[in-house]
Amino acid sequence: MMKPKVCILRSDGTNCDEELFYAFEKFDALPEYVHVNELREKSKNLSNYQILALPGGFSYGDDIAAGKVLAIELTSFLKWQIQDFIKNKGIVLGICNGFQTLVRTGLLPFNNLGKMDVTLAPNDSGHFECRWVKIKADKSPCVFLNGLTHPIEVAVNHGEGKFYTDEKTLKKIEKQNLVIYRYIDNKNKPTQKYPANPNGSSNAIAGICDPTGRILGLMPHPEKFVDITQHPNWRRWKYNSDGAPARQSLGDGGAFFENMIKFANQS
Amino acid sequence: MIHTIRVISKNETDPKGQNLLAEIKSTLNINSIKKIRTAKVYRLEGISKKDLKKIIDSALVEKIDQKYSVDEPIFNSSSKNIEVAYKSGVMNPEVASILKTTVDLNIKLAAADSSFEYAFFGTLSKDQLQKIINRLLVNETVEHIVSKKPKTLLISGKTPKVQIVPIRNLTDSQLLDLSTNRLFLNLEEMKVIQNYFKKENRDPSDCEIEVLAQTWSEHCTHKTFKANLTIDGKKKKPLFERIKSTAGNNNKIIVSAFHDNSGVIDFYDGWAINGKGETHNSPSAIEPYGGAMTGSGGVFRDIAATGKGAKVICSTDIFCFAPPDLPNNKIPPGCLPPLYLLKKVVAGVRDYGNRVGIPTNNGSVHFHEDFRAKPTVAVGSYGLIPKKHAKKKAPNVNDLIITIGGATGRDGIHGATFASGEMTHQTGEVLGSSVQIGNAIEEKRILDVVITLRNENLIRAVTDCGAGGYSSAIGEMGETVGAKVQLDNVPLKYTGLAPWEIFLSESQERLILAIDSKNIKKVQKICKLYNVQISILGKFDGSKKLSVRYKNQIVCDMPMKFIHDGLPQRNMIGKSRKNKLSEKLPKQPKNLLSIWQKILTHPNVASKEPIVRMYDHNVQGTSALHPFGGENLDAPNDAVVLRPILNKKYGFITAHGLNPILNRIDPYWGSIWAIVEAVSNYVAVGGDLKNASLIDNFIWPFPDSESLASLDKSVDACVDVAKVLKMTFVSGKDSLSSTYRYPEGPGLIESETLRVERRSPRTDGKVLKIPPVLLISVFGKIPNIEKTASSDFKKVGSAIVSVGKSDFKNLGGSTYFDVMNSTSNKVPQIDLKVLPKTLKSITKGIQSEQILSAHDISEGGMATTLFEMCLGGQVGAQIDLSKLTRQGVSLTGRPDFILFSETAGTFLVEVESEKIAKRIFRGVPHQIIGKTQKEKLININRGKNKLASASIQSLKNDWQKPMMEIFK
Repeated sequence: MMKPKVCILRSDGTNCDEELFYAFEKFDALPEYVHVNELREKSKNLSNYQILALPGGFSYGDDIAAGKVLAIELTSFLKWQIQDFIKNKGIVLGICNGFQTLVRTGLLPFNNLGKMDVTLAPNDSGHFECRWVKIKADKSPCVFLNGLTHPIEVAVNHGEGKFYTDEKTLKKIEKQNLVIYRYIDNKNKPTQKYPANPNGSSNAIAGICDPTGRILGLMPHPEKFVDITQHPNWRRWKYNSDGAPARQSLGDGGAFFENMIKFANQS
Repeated sequence: MIHTIRVISKNETDPKGQNLLAEIKSTLNINSIKKIRTAKVYRLEGISKKDLKKIIDSALVEKIDQKYSVDEPIFNSSSKNIEVAYKSGVMNPEVASILKTTVDLNIKLAAADSSFEYAFFGTLSKDQLQKIINRLLVNETVEHIVSKKPKTLLISGKTPKVQIVPIRNLTDSQLLDLSTNRLFLNLEEMKVIQNYFKKENRDPSDCEIEVLAQTWSEHCTHKTFKANLTIDGKKKKPLFERIKSTAGNNNKIIVSAFHDNSGVIDFYDGWAINGKGETHNSPSAIEPYGGAMTGSGGVFRDIAATGKGAKVICSTDIFCFAPPDLPNNKIPPGCLPPLYLLKKVVAGVRDYGNRVGIPTNNGSVHFHEDFRAKPTVAVGSYGLIPKKHAKKKAPNVNDLIITIGGATGRDGIHGATFASGEMTHQTGEVLGSSVQIGNAIEEKRILDVVITLRNENLIRAVTDCGAGGYSSAIGEMGETVGAKVQLDNVPLKYTGLAPWEIFLSESQERLILAIDSKNIKKVQKICKLYNVQISILGKFDGSKKLSVRYKNQIVCDMPMKFIHDGLPQRNMIGKSRKNKLSEKLPKQPKNLLSIWQKILTHPNVASKEPIVRMYDHNVQGTSALHPFGGENLDAPNDAVVLRPILNKKYGFITAHGLNPILNRIDPYWGSIWAIVEAVSNYVAVGGDLKNASLIDNFIWPFPDSESLASLDKSVDACVDVAKVLKMTFVSGKDSLSSTYRYPEGPGLIESETLRVERRSPRTDGKVLKIPPVLLISVFGKIPNIEKTASSDFKKVGSAIVSVGKSDFKNLGGSTYFDVMNSTSNKVPQIDLKVLPKTLKSITKGIQSEQILSAHDISEGGMATTLFEMCLGGQVGAQIDLSKLTRQGVSLTGRPDFILFSETAGTFLVEVESEKIAKRIFRGVPHQIIGKTQKEKLININRGKNKLASASIQSLKNDWQKPMMEIFK
């Protein structure tokens, strides 16, 4: 089986690229760092990859709005490359700043490149949040996540992650089942309560996909928990397995990447 | 023509406004404001109507949740509106991104700026508004209130000519006048300069004088640490020499010590790790947000610019402030309120470190009233570097001098000399230009590009432009070779800088590289890929001179030897003074619980979680021991463990220790405490000291006779402990300017009067010595991160063991005494003979996985340690102190002294059984003090005597309250 090639897109201020690279590599994909300038000057081309991954960070300082300047760069210079990539059934993943960027390009949730339908606004707390939260996958067109119904623990690290849109669009998103993850409380129910919902997102939405399920984005970081020792409490699980990831040796983010890579291979 | 665009959120949710309102209520007690709304303001100059619409639609406004106005107010007249912007010439980091995006959108634009407008709804008097502006909203050093639309955003000026400074005929007092507030050199040093130019038969240029003042500044050359000393009548070796002599204690681990921008030690598989601690106290005192940012930026670049380039993997932050609730009348003239300082420093660290993508995962905050004039803001950083690239070499003759990164402006002129001088109440105004705002993304770009250039073998040498700017960076790199610089090649932020300003400017985010000229094309190409600006400034020319030109003018022409070796070694005399606090011990308390609660709410002990949660401590995915852990992720750990190479099991550990109050009471034993606290934190997570090394930061008052003597004792303490533990110092820094002068008079002040005070020049008055701080950091390696421990109790029914030799008699300087208003000159005496055995037993117990959890005993004493372990485990504990009070371990037998003694080098640990405890702590002082229990209660007894009992939840509420109130 060929390993799927992953374009890890870098720009000025990208910073969760290395852990994302590691996660893809660990689950048998072939990640490669690609600077947005390399795509612009065409020394590298998206057509050589099966997955386009936009990592977390502060692209261009998150100036104006988080991910905005990169989103403008992508829609101004790489529109055709991206559209071809999507047409050819590539998978687009945005995590944290990558999600903010995808939303601001319009790719999420309706694959409207150049038109923004939803936003990720400043957290209700008014500041950056670095903590661990629980999320749960919803049934969505993102088929490779559908088997993963267990609640999982993930890190959030962001200042602008509040999912927000007008009521009509929100209804449309729910109707088309485009929500892939929601923040949940201790009883595993979607929650609006801080800090379980760390930013005040509408309907506790932590991540969404487009109707094809091939473009997806989320605020939490599955890539920061693909080894058990990345969790703050892995030492406790030696003595008490309550709360430990389903598969002891891996983190909760492991299955996310494993399934995505398998899916990329099949399609 | 300038267009002004104002953007606000459509609905009323406005976190920025809400936070400001909460702050106004809690700190200024103004309760009549109903609501605050904030608008983002953009100013665009030289843009067409069509392009204006385009940039608004595609970049500045998101119509889903925002609305806007163009060239008209966005708030109606029912509110009081204040717009706060950076002053012209202070770099606003957002502007570069706005300009980039206009280029991407194919829009023509001459200049841009951005700012915030605040609208206050409700009733608000003029005085109240002024108070809000002065205390919370505007820092006049870098910001101003926009009262009318600016005419232009473009800054330009005519470049002044090189000035000659006639120095040869000056009298002694004229020489000193020249030095005061500009050069900060003493008469002897001024005379050396005068004599040199007499011999040269010419007068120096302004630049030459500035280069010498910078190179010879305390900040850059550490004159005190290199001086010959006579302390209390005895001749002693220079401080620096003594610290460096610790290299012999554990030579094997050192790759490079006191030679480069940071200290480097061995890691695994051909890798090395490097570490450095820096302080940024003076800038942070007058502009805390920018000061903290540029402090972080500087130390990151020190790490990155070590050897041929390192990757930055960790950031630490240690602060000392006056208590946040210090009454206004106690704040000295010219100083900012401590709450403002605390919040702004935290925000600066957050906004810089998070953006650069470096995990901030270790630190602490200390409070004492005597930091009211000047805080201590210490930032540490660590890196990973291939060992083969870890040693710094001099450039070859004919290597090119390259600068990469940010453009140069009039930022931070005189930063090096400023940091070396005492602060006065005038400092804020006279030297305001020393402070600047950092641009984190510029920093990130250069950190990224350096790694790529290093991997391609394109760097001969690299160094950071910190204090002293190009003067320092090029002067140091070219010390043995000589350098020829053409200043017109320096990219400038705006025109009008004098040549000496270009050379000395401390604009942030710049590096100097030595590059083999045959590689220049490759280097330029890589820099272009990373959007990094690069310029060739000249070459290392083999002349052994520093020659600088601007167009045809000679700006500087001096031999490197005079610049670097011309400074005479100082002879300094110190005399120690005995501290005479009255011996006032607390009465044996009837209610131990209420004291315990008070201690937990003491700001030095209280939880700092709200601060840590705003720092990204998890970026890079490397954390293997997070700052907080335990069942509810709210219990603090002692150190940070990282796995810097994600597919390897070996790890990096760092920890730190300090105690300014003990330092002041007893410079020797207080310093011993700081080092022992640092290594105890390191060992408590499973670190092995033979694979670790030390970093010192001395933050001391101006070295007058008394402070010099206490500094000498502190250095002795460092050397003594290092010897006992067979450890070595590899890096260090001193900042000897913790003295503040201000005019006599009643303690004033509301900020209005404060600003008046700043203007009246007076030199008489009071002197405030800030408590001396010895900050010790430890960093090192561990073969397997899986053999490390956290502080949370793991099981019910485990044995709780106190390990190490405690001093239950001397509690001078403890939190307990502070809470009780007690004083004593007797600080904890740490038994240095027992210490190494204690530490080894902990390391071994953790690495053999027999210790389930461990936590060191420090501020707040054993009672605090126990509470934090229970909190993490969500278990209770049944404790019996009778063994500790009996067996002669405690001379007083007082349970309050046992529970609240702060002896560094002692621990609480959890093991499965008494039997295991006996085995692993054979030969080490230890006592089994109790057991963990399911019921979430801590019961402390002496035999049948109940001393205190409390639920974990109620103690937690006390402990979390202080910082939660400040950081909502």
